[in-house]
Amino acid sequence: MVEILVDEDACVGCGSCVDDCPNDVYKMNEEKWKTEVVNVDDCMACLSCHEICPAQAMTHKDIHVAKRLYIDRRVTEVLERII
Amino acid sequence: MAIQEVRGTFKPELIPKETGGDIDDYEDALHVLMKFMGSMSSALEQVSGRGANAIVYQAGKRMGHDAAKMMEKTDNLEQAMDEMGEVLGHEFYYRMWKPAGQENYTVEKGDETVVKLLFRDCVVRQTLRRTGLPQKGPLCYLLYGYMVGAVEEVMGIKGKVDVDHVGPNACLKTLTIKWGGK
Repeated sequence: MVEILVDEDACVGCGSCVDDCPNDVYKMNEEKWKTEVVNVDDCMACLSCHEICPAQAMTHKDIHVAKRLYIDRRVTEVLERII
Repeated sequence: MAIQEVRGTFKPELIPKETGGDIDDYEDALHVLMKFMGSMSSALEQVSGRGANAIVYQAGKRMGHDAAKMMEKTDNLEQAMDEMGEVLGHEFYYRMWKPAGQENYTVEKGDETVVKLLFRDCVVRQTLRRTGLPQKGPLCYLLYGYMVGAVEEVMGIKGKVDVDHVGPNACLKTLTIKWGGK
């Protein structure tokens, strides 16, 4: 089961995720003016909300992560050594 | 990095096991192939405009028909999806998808049956991201054609795929088959 965590401190309340999500997983909390998760069952973990969120406020837990075939393993190995 | 040369004596019709290559060779080749694919798609769109989608769609459709030739024929869409998933799932992992409140995966609409498909590990998406191209472009039509070709082969019926939503981790598409549209 997908679990979505929204970092309220990070969320800037732009509503981009609300507009972008085709399955109405998010809604704006009118009082706090922050995004809240209202329909987690319909989340398909496409992660376009991650792409559109300017504050990187979301975390999706326990989802299928698509293979990143385009990542160069040699580059990531070098990065791992540096970081 | 020095390139390792494989030398040997063999008949050209026989493939010696030492030419199998390792994962690093495949990764290099995959990256180049992705760049080629991305460049071709981009150039095709530049030259042909929207016609590029139709060309690539047709190419994908042929591939789909070929891929599904050995699959068992059925007129049950869910069964066809399972059947196709076993073969095409190795190339791009997809699943039927429905909103939590919906009872079945398939929805009947007059003489049409509709099913939502969630594509997860898609080589087309990875290629587009590798080459910095937007999704929903001509290259995506390769996959639409592939699915349509395969479903047409398995079910002997006309189908079409529309894109609902694209994301960096998964894409949602609608597959529609039209009964009587043979």
